[in-house]
Amino acid sequence: MTDPGTSTPTLLRGESLVKTYPDGDVRALRGVTLEISEGEFVAITGPSGCGKSTLLHLMGGLDRPTSGEIAFRGESLNRLDVDRFRAQHLGFVFQSFYLIPTLTASQNVQVPMFEASWPRTERNHRAMRILEEVGLAHRANHLPKRLSVGERQRVAIARALANEPILLLADEPTGNLDSTTQREVLDLLARIRTERRLTMMIVTHSGEVAAAADREIRLKDGLIVQ
Amino acid sequence: MGFLVFITRNLLGRPARTMLTVLGLGVGISAVILLIGVSWGFERSMSAIYSSRGIDIIVVRAGVSDQLSSNLDAGMIDQLRTVPDVVEVAPSLMDAVSFEEANLTSVLANGWEPGGLLIRNLRMIEGRPLEKGDTRAVMLGRVLALNLKKSVSDELVIAGEKFKVIGIFESDSLFESGGLIIPLAELQHMMGREGKVTGFVIITKPEVDPHTVGKAVEAKISGVAAIPSQNYVQNNVQIKLSRAMAGATIGVALMLGSIGLLNTMAMAVTERTGEIGLLRALGWKRKRIIVLLMGEAATLGILGVMVGALMSWIGMRGIMLSPTSRGFIDPKLPPSAFLVGLAMGIGLSVLGGLYPAIRASRLEPTEALRHD
Repeated sequence: MTDPGTSTPTLLRGESLVKTYPDGDVRALRGVTLEISEGEFVAITGPSGCGKSTLLHLMGGLDRPTSGEIAFRGESLNRLDVDRFRAQHLGFVFQSFYLIPTLTASQNVQVPMFEASWPRTERNHRAMRILEEVGLAHRANHLPKRLSVGERQRVAIARALANEPILLLADEPTGNLDSTTQREVLDLLARIRTERRLTMMIVTHSGEVAAAADREIRLKDGLIVQ
Repeated sequence: MGFLVFITRNLLGRPARTMLTVLGLGVGISAVILLIGVSWGFERSMSAIYSSRGIDIIVVRAGVSDQLSSNLDAGMIDQLRTVPDVVEVAPSLMDAVSFEEANLTSVLANGWEPGGLLIRNLRMIEGRPLEKGDTRAVMLGRVLALNLKKSVSDELVIAGEKFKVIGIFESDSLFESGGLIIPLAELQHMMGREGKVTGFVIITKPEVDPHTVGKAVEAKISGVAAIPSQNYVQNNVQIKLSRAMAGATIGVALMLGSIGLLNTMAMAVTERTGEIGLLRALGWKRKRIIVLLMGEAATLGILGVMVGALMSWIGMRGIMLSPTSRGFIDPKLPPSAFLVGLAMGIGLSVLGGLYPAIRASRLEPTEALRHD
């Protein structure tokens, strides 16, 4: 499958996505269709509660749409082993990092590797290499509480890269950061995208992040408005 | 990082909760190890009374629940000797005496015939065994001599009457080592039971079935029960009681332990709902979440077994500080009691860990992440 506007193949496609939460009968998405091409950097923007995070979660197989379908490289997620899909092809970065407080930076990076069946020594080496890539090799044995907020987000990014994903999904990755750290994290994401030829889909409120993207998808009240 | 490191880190990250859970499990497991150890030691000790002497049959009054309350004519011995296949018969009068100055109650006092089969197989540590013609003479078991701080030639007042210690013996049975032996006639006189015994022991020919001889005894003499020694031990009322107590303790400990572990694991799951959601988001399969949480529960269970084993060892030393306990309780905890403790630890891990683990694995990633 190829994006009609370019010759780049479509990596992920959402078709008529509707998501209704039973608690409170909230319709977070009301029929969204979108395509993400391989190597593309897409920013999802819009006001709070418009369905940005819901859309990201659906596209990443973290949740199922009430109706509609998502396809990865043309194959419906309904027919894929979604756990395996997430473990092998996706990297997630969250606003509140979600580092495991009892594990060191290096151990946190190794957590997704259990599903990729890397041998133990290989897990250690890989974690060190990725931490080096994000400039945190010297903090590898520190617990999250000993790291600055920016360092924690860089560990979370390193963890998202653990299994060599082709798609990085990030939910407000700079939302908890000051402007300097936000800039550093953005630069880091831009660099790893280029070096690893990653496709990125980022939910953001930040105009700076949206400006850095190849394409901005704007949502309002559960619908794409731009 | 290996999977075990992950499990260990999770447990060490919440040290107070881990410690309290392990301690709670340890208390339950130690109670089980101790009671089983005591119960099995009790049975072993009783069995040794008969097995060490090759005794095949015990004859008591029919319908009595334990030998102390049995009452038979000593003269019955002549009839017993005439039963086919009986090789040897010995009478026994059993009673309990107290030595309050040494804080000892219910010390087993055996009235046996000097030179008879019951005395013959005892190992003398000091002095000599009772011989025909001995009067006011007593043999003390090793544990009782230790508790009373008596040695050969010392004087001992038993039930208000003076006796001279002529020997100290060791028996395979702790009951005997914790008791005393005086000539049968002396004990009959002291207890006002002249011409009476509590029972007889019989050795049969090796090739015959004790059940058959027992039936022959019961057919010949009315009002008696002639029970093969193995059955007698198995059906002894005290042994049945101690087994029932051990069984009840295991049940209660299992219930409390599994509720405790269930509570801990359920709390761990609730506290870490976000973390579990993250693991699912990172692609962890449900099965791996179950393995992680069951691994944590199993580690708690194994630590509980280790703490329980240590506590039971210390507990047994504590019990042995009481002189009365020294005469009845075998301080050696059998390895099988520890195996039961281990099985209980594993059982508790499965019981307490499985439900929270399955519940956690069923969480959808977004649902769990929203929890934080």
